[in-house]
Amino acid sequence: MNHIFRKLQVTFPQQASILNQSLCRATPSIQHPVWCTAAMNERQYRDMPTHGIGRWRHLLLKQAPKKKKDRNQQKELVSATDTAYGTLNVTVSGYDMTVVEHYSQYIHNFCNRLNIKVADSYALPTKSTEVLLMQEQGNKTYVDAVLKTHQRVIQLSSLNASLCPVFMDVILKNQPEGVQLSVQEHTEADYQARFKARPELEGLVAQINQ
Amino acid sequence: MAAPCRKMASRSYSQLLCCFSRTAVGSGACRRFSVTPIDRATPRASTAADRATSPWSLMAAVCLQRLPVITADCSPIEQRFKQMLQQMELEKSMLSDHELRLMEDAERMSRRQADDYDSDEDLGDQEIMMTQDLEDTWEQRLKNFQPAPRVRADVDEDLTSVQRCLTDSLVLLAEQQVGAEKLWLLPQAAWQEGETLRRTAERALDSMTAGVRATFLGNAPCGVYKYKLPKAARTESSVGVKVFFFKAILVDGTPGSAPTAPLLWLKKSELQKYLKPAYMMNVGRFILNL
Repeated sequence: MNHIFRKLQVTFPQQASILNQSLCRATPSIQHPVWCTAAMNERQYRDMPTHGIGRWRHLLLKQAPKKKKDRNQQKELVSATDTAYGTLNVTVSGYDMTVVEHYSQYIHNFCNRLNIKVADSYALPTKSTEVLLMQEQGNKTYVDAVLKTHQRVIQLSSLNASLCPVFMDVILKNQPEGVQLSVQEHTEADYQARFKARPELEGLVAQINQ
Repeated sequence: MAAPCRKMASRSYSQLLCCFSRTAVGSGACRRFSVTPIDRATPRASTAADRATSPWSLMAAVCLQRLPVITADCSPIEQRFKQMLQQMELEKSMLSDHELRLMEDAERMSRRQADDYDSDEDLGDQEIMMTQDLEDTWEQRLKNFQPAPRVRADVDEDLTSVQRCLTDSLVLLAEQQVGAEKLWLLPQAAWQEGETLRRTAERALDSMTAGVRATFLGNAPCGVYKYKLPKAARTESSVGVKVFFFKAILVDGTPGSAPTAPLLWLKKSELQKYLKPAYMMNVGRFILNL
């Protein structure tokens, strides 16, 4: 019954607009909301009780847009307490990249399983070592091989002291051959070492300081 | 209950810098380690009021492990899978620089042998060493290399040798006098006033074996075993003993020239023959069989 009345109400503005057409172009009638479906026979009107029933994005909290440079900001250094170690760096290094990467993935997954918070997991640049051998006849050395050392670091934000022996025991027992493992505290110097030196900036700073 | 817990809470805290490396042929039968303790805060002296008198006396024991030196052999199914994967990788792989050079050389030889060979076609310098000769020299060097045998049956039989069973991890057992009898146990020592339990464990290790370098994995114990003294020996103030176990990894090979007690290096499967059942059940929970 109500919708009949609504339809009658709606027709009045239409008639009014037709009258006004000669004077001014009427604005497009607002019976069709912009966000409604394209199908003409499924128009939902604003006063339809279920209008916008599926909307949910307006209920979420407003998130600040993520900027790309936020990703590589320095994570805060957690200091050690009486019952937990602070930020630790577990470095895995070796010549064989697949083995090193798989072992670092294993450690990462193991930390996830033991609910140890992994702050960061990154790779340090590869170091190339050239092996030069002396020739049997003569003094010239020739390049025998190029060995590349790959390093992967997993940064743990805090490690419970009671969990530490268990953790260390398991990763030591599963250490593959040809892979070196090192567990050290994370320092500011470690973080700064990852950046490339900027010679022109340093030159300018030196000029300013002169 | 009260005394041991409080003791653990006020234990000194030290950081570890551990560096573990695993190389195929190490200097001994062990991996190379380096440990740098950063902070060693002095333990807070506990006042007499802190310690409630408890009928349990404390001991600390060390579970010293020698980690495997070489990889374990693959089971038959693992070997077949490994071969299959290697075959697949070989078939999917691209030719390496060396193989390309071999092919170019072969092609150049065949061109030279052809009847209509034009020496002007041959641009570029002649290589002094043909690639095939290089490969032959490498093969020769490989043949001259003799790797050490992986498994030596005579050393494996000797239970006191630390070089036995290079593919498994071994645990140190020492024969100790407990009460009236001699038992095979993890090396243990009684806790003394004013020292941490970990220090007690280190002392236990030093007293049983001289000159063994081990890295303790942490300040927290990995297990506990408590036993009551036999009824005859029980008094008001001592009902039993609680033993806390600490894990350590062997750094340096030899246990010293003259150990004070007979020592054994055993795999987890062999421990059952030497340890008492209740003790074994407790200890077996924290010794990993990886």
